[in-house]
Amino acid sequence: MREQRRCRVCLAWVALLAATMTPSGALTEEPPGASEEKPLDTETVLEAIDVDPYEVPDLPLKKSSTYASSPADVSPYGHVTPFQEHFLEQMEYTGPGRAIPEPEHVDTVKIGFLGPIEPTVSVATGGKSHEEPLGIAMLRGARLAIQEANAAGGYRRRQIPFELVVHNDNGLWGASGNEIVDLAYKEKVWAILGTIDGANSHIAIRVALKAEIPMMNTGDTDPTFIETNIPWVARCIGDDRQQNYLLLDYLYRKQGLERVAIMRASNRYGRFGVRELLDGSRRLGRPVVMEMAYRVGAADFSLQIDRIAAAEPQAIVHWGDAVDGARILNQMRARGLDQPFFCSDRCVSDEFVQLAGEHAWQVLSTFPGNPDRQDSELEAFRERFAERHGVEPGTYAAHAYDGMNLLLWAIQNAGLNRAKIRDLLAYRSEPWPGVTGEIPLNAVMDDAGEVFFARWDGSRWRYSSRQDLGIPGGRIEPRDRQAEAESGPSPAGGGP
Amino acid sequence: MRLLLIPSLLLAVLLAPAPLVTAEPPAATRPAGQDSDPGLPFIYTRWEQYTVEDGLPNDHIFAVKADGPWIWIGTEGGLARLDKRTGEIRSWTEEDGLPWRVVSAIDVNPLTAEVWLGLFGGGLVRFSGGRFDHFHQLNSGLVNDVVYGVCIENDNVWAATTAGASRYDTITGEWTIFTEKNAPMEEIWNYGCSFDDGKMYLGVWGSGVLEFDVATETWKDYLDPDGEMEIDLYRDDGIVHVITTGVSAVDGTFWATTYFGASRYDGRHWRGYFKKDSGAPSDFHNAIKARSANEAWFSTDKGLGVVADFPTDTWVVYTTDHRSHTGRAVVSRGGQVVETISMSPNLPHNYVLWTELDGDDVWVGTSKGLAHGIGKGYFPGLRRKPVKAQSVESSEIRGGE
Repeated sequence: MREQRRCRVCLAWVALLAATMTPSGALTEEPPGASEEKPLDTETVLEAIDVDPYEVPDLPLKKSSTYASSPADVSPYGHVTPFQEHFLEQMEYTGPGRAIPEPEHVDTVKIGFLGPIEPTVSVATGGKSHEEPLGIAMLRGARLAIQEANAAGGYRRRQIPFELVVHNDNGLWGASGNEIVDLAYKEKVWAILGTIDGANSHIAIRVALKAEIPMMNTGDTDPTFIETNIPWVARCIGDDRQQNYLLLDYLYRKQGLERVAIMRASNRYGRFGVRELLDGSRRLGRPVVMEMAYRVGAADFSLQIDRIAAAEPQAIVHWGDAVDGARILNQMRARGLDQPFFCSDRCVSDEFVQLAGEHAWQVLSTFPGNPDRQDSELEAFRERFAERHGVEPGTYAAHAYDGMNLLLWAIQNAGLNRAKIRDLLAYRSEPWPGVTGEIPLNAVMDDAGEVFFARWDGSRWRYSSRQDLGIPGGRIEPRDRQAEAESGPSPAGGGP
Repeated sequence: MRLLLIPSLLLAVLLAPAPLVTAEPPAATRPAGQDSDPGLPFIYTRWEQYTVEDGLPNDHIFAVKADGPWIWIGTEGGLARLDKRTGEIRSWTEEDGLPWRVVSAIDVNPLTAEVWLGLFGGGLVRFSGGRFDHFHQLNSGLVNDVVYGVCIENDNVWAATTAGASRYDTITGEWTIFTEKNAPMEEIWNYGCSFDDGKMYLGVWGSGVLEFDVATETWKDYLDPDGEMEIDLYRDDGIVHVITTGVSAVDGTFWATTYFGASRYDGRHWRGYFKKDSGAPSDFHNAIKARSANEAWFSTDKGLGVVADFPTDTWVVYTTDHRSHTGRAVVSRGGQVVETISMSPNLPHNYVLWTELDGDDVWVGTSKGLAHGIGKGYFPGLRRKPVKAQSVESSEIRGGE
């Protein structure tokens, strides 16, 4: 039986190579052997993960030829081969959790939710909390997915309802860690969806690793969130690294600009959000001429604007919340700075438009999805969401809806076993068909899908892909690491 | 308790220290051309295993601490104490006054015999005289209730928490909190601690290793020099990654682990370890325990790895194949296997969470029970292998069992 299973598994393969998933526009090459590999189906995965406490599933691990589809010319230390590269192979869980039997009886199937839904004052997020609108949208999206699953018969159509256990993520003194402990050990949820703030998310996933519970993130775009090698964590939203790469390509490869300035929030979201933009600009020989940080929620940005003006940039990129972004834009225009203004996805909101008024015209923001996509599922979701909540679903609601549906899919198939739920996500080889678009999970269970630009045209946000705007990409060079290994030590090799 | 002995006399002979004379054992394989090897390290071949069947409150073991005749065991379901003299296990759960059942860290104050417990989401506990004194975010200077590491430093107790480190002066009752405000923590997510020679070392997730000089109250940080998450540019230029999961300092040298590899620093030279070019069983390290500047034990997700002799880069990796009910120790040097030794099962599970050294013995916490490696006859470093077999008494090899 086991041999048969192995044979079948040997024939299958996960075809989520980063090169093949790269949004077009970037130049890629098919990595060696990729065409021979076949995706795993759910049945094969389920059979393979049915193991005793001491076994590890005999399944091929996903491999990426290039981490995060990073173009060669913006990759760190691109002129040498690093001694070690991370995140190219799927993380494994080798513990005994798969053998924990499913409980004989449950009244509900609990799923945890952790998000900023109540106002607080937080050191971690830079003062008075500011993420409740995002957290509430996330909660609404997650709830809608739960309600629809229950309407369809609940857990395995046994009329056992899914129950969302909602915890506030207030960011105070690492409280997200305590919340995950509560959810995992006291509430005994089967999986958790959350959260948004980068620092809180990091704390949460460390606890999830120790408690061995799957965690789906739908709202933290901090690139380092997934760069922790935790096999229990997935994310279904395009991160700031991908959004930075799109900006780099637009600013430098398409527009040919030389002088770009950055204005960012003085918190983790701002600090890590522009990291690839900073590094990539330097690596492309056009270092950012000025980077200014501001206090979240500030009213007066004149100091930062003066400094940026003195640097005479050709364009200004803002990374922060909508309210701050709108105020900065207004004060910049009042100061006479008329350079093109670029934003992170948090500015794609009604709040930004209302505050920025006429200045919002032609503002270009990166965005982890394309709501203009012609998709009947997306349209139906919009209608259901609006009917339920009386507002249009924003990106945080839509991604939470997708993330929760991914978790529900995994639970419905895996059963009530945290390790197996995790496995279903980790070994899933086909992109998830979400309302935000296709969500392919790469080797580190991160959304490796496309990101977009949003432009305010005076009446609505309009979304464009890389192809729509004719944005060229850098060359992504999948490398034959086997050949490199056989050819001898790498240029940046180990010590004597 | 299940005492597991090696059935093979010949296997044991292989492991005997010089000048025992032994045969080439059939249970071991040795590649040709290894006659000039500098020798073999001591191999733990006698193992005991403890699980819930033996009285542990839970098989998922986060922490182990040797304390004279006792072994304290922190599990996901309570605290346990094993009496080495009798083999009896006593346990405490919330019903017995333990404030929270998930015990993630343990240290013992050698001056007072107080047992300090880090609880995973439950704060810090002093267990003394049969009483649990509970310190948490709301009644003390403990910065966070999710405690990953506890270390005794003189009269102070340090707690490595998910939102900074706290130091409690047990004489004055004063608490000191260390975060990004007063320590070079790029991130505040503390994971482990280790005290050696007047210095407290903190392993900080996202901030490498921090060294605190107790006398001068000054800090020094050790970060990945390349500053990148997705690569390690040079192996031996500094800590291999900033996502640090453990640190263990001894003899002026510290060893540090991450989920990306491991590092050793002797104050002058760095050495990085990756699975691809060393004997490490995995790059995913849950914890580290150093015995000396030349020997360290790595708790990984794929077995128990040991740098048995640093100068010669000699590793031993212990794993158990539960299908065949056999244990294995693989000795490698410079990434090349030089010996493979079969034995009875050693680890109850290959997912290793903690290692504690107890004299010559070793205690290993796994996700499916506790292992005890009996180190009678232990020797540090390497000894040359005997070249010819004659005969030997098993009692000599096993240290007179």
